[in-house]
Amino acid sequence: MIASLRAESVKTRKRWANWILFAILLAWIVLLSYLTFYLVVRLSPHSIQGPVPASVLKRRLFPENYVPTVLNAAESIGAAIMLIYGALSTASEYGWLTVQTILIQKPTRWAVLAGKLVGAGITAVVVSLALLGVTALASYVVVTIDSSSSSWPSWEVTLKAFGALVLQLAVWTSLGAFLGIAFRSAAAAIGGGLVYLFVVEALLGSLFRNTPVVKEILKFLPGVNGGAINASFPATFRDTTATALVGAGRGVVTLLLYLAIFTISSLLIFQQRDVGGS
Amino acid sequence: MAQALAVETHGLSKRYSTGVMAVNDLTLLVKTGEVYGFLGPNGAGKTTTLRMLSGLLHPTSGTAIVAGAAPGSPASLARMGAMVETPAFYPYLSGRDNLRVVARYAGISSSRIDPVLKQVDLTDRERYKFRTYSTGMKQRLGVAAALLKDPDLLILDEPTSGLDPQGTVEMRTLIGDLRREGRTVLLSSHLLNEVELTCDRVGVIAKGKLVAEGTVDELRSRSGGRTLLIRATPLEQARRLLESLLKPDQVKVVDDAIVLSVDPSQAASINRRLVADGVDVSELRVAEQSLEAVFLELTETPRPEGPPS
Repeated sequence: MIASLRAESVKTRKRWANWILFAILLAWIVLLSYLTFYLVVRLSPHSIQGPVPASVLKRRLFPENYVPTVLNAAESIGAAIMLIYGALSTASEYGWLTVQTILIQKPTRWAVLAGKLVGAGITAVVVSLALLGVTALASYVVVTIDSSSSSWPSWEVTLKAFGALVLQLAVWTSLGAFLGIAFRSAAAAIGGGLVYLFVVEALLGSLFRNTPVVKEILKFLPGVNGGAINASFPATFRDTTATALVGAGRGVVTLLLYLAIFTISSLLIFQQRDVGGS
Repeated sequence: MAQALAVETHGLSKRYSTGVMAVNDLTLLVKTGEVYGFLGPNGAGKTTTLRMLSGLLHPTSGTAIVAGAAPGSPASLARMGAMVETPAFYPYLSGRDNLRVVARYAGISSSRIDPVLKQVDLTDRERYKFRTYSTGMKQRLGVAAALLKDPDLLILDEPTSGLDPQGTVEMRTLIGDLRREGRTVLLSSHLLNEVELTCDRVGVIAKGKLVAEGTVDELRSRSGGRTLLIRATPLEQARRLLESLLKPDQVKVVDDAIVLSVDPSQAASINRRLVADGVDVSELRVAEQSLEAVFLELTETPRPEGPPS
């Protein structure tokens, strides 16, 4: 597995598509979550409708709220980006037929895929650190420009947030990787994954959230459980008025189960299935 | 003592989920140190067999031992290098980085990269991205990757596919070098000339079954062997005379020539009889049954009429 992990590190680092994906994620946070929002609040505060005044709304950008901000990003754009990354990392091997090149080297199939999945996990850790760092920096810049005061969350909260971030990004990465192996096509894996994320989880989840049957189903979905974990972190206020359907503890357990299911399923399919031929 | 076997299969079969029986009860014995040509028309089951020997496909039935171990096992893979079907590499990586990735998977030192790049003559293009490589360069990189592990056994699927004439000659030379180094090479091809020039022994596969095996000469002799080719005037008079001397089924007129299925040692006496009968003999020579003809016969492919070469 170490041999496979070392090979993965070369492939991941040298693939521009990965850097572009992660740059989009970080740019999204800086440009949309911070810059655009700050400009609107600062330059056109009266354009903001709603019960919360702009002066309070602005505090969402301050260091005291950077943890919920980064977790919100992980729940939406972060999930999509990591799903695409996971799908590309496995499906491309089939698209380029490189899967057969790597399988005729020395490691077993199990070791090859385990190295790839551990590599993807390490990427999720690095992306989480980058997300926290960039978000913290953006919030520091905003509070400095605004000449306001704010407090940073405790180390304990920050560490928990880091854990929550890694867990959610790892789950979406593993789903992408699983779909890539199952479909053996990047387009099908990414398409299917994004449809699930944005149609099943987001759209149906918001439209039919109060329907009893749908509500029960939603409690088992990874996005809803990730949202429940995120909701447990302190924030000045939240964008959504919907309450979490499950507790944070159950959310963590559910996501860990999903991580295990996607990983084991990927390993089983990869181990058993023929490579090439028709 | 019997020569050790580098590849050994018994009753190897592969039926795909589509129901297609790609390989059927294949028994293949490749001796250590030989260049074995696996010959067959497109779709005969060559690549499927090589995929099974590389551990990429699970056989439906039968057994195989490759480089002393089960196909696809770390013990087997450690001693073999392979290029199956098309050379597949990461398009965004350079040739060198692709070999780096392969070396890391194989758990070998990257110090092997320079020698193999030199061996396949890719050193001057090692920094170029794989996606910019020509077909011939991709093929050579595939061979370089197969050589990285310094393997005892090389499995090469259509190694000259897509190569220009110069590249084909270079590949042939490389295979010869590998044999001199004592390595076993199992190569598949549908190019008869290539097999004829590079292989010690040949196995012919058709519709998933091994239909013949032996040296090129053995295969030729199995299919009629050598014949006599005669060009004479008048042709009809020569044919009648030869039919009276030999059995009618030993005499065939093909195009403007007469082909005799006789022992070539009779050439002189036949020539004397023709001349004595007033026939002008402009050409009389031993014609080799081409491997192509043997191949078409063995694989039951209809062939165009024409004299042997």
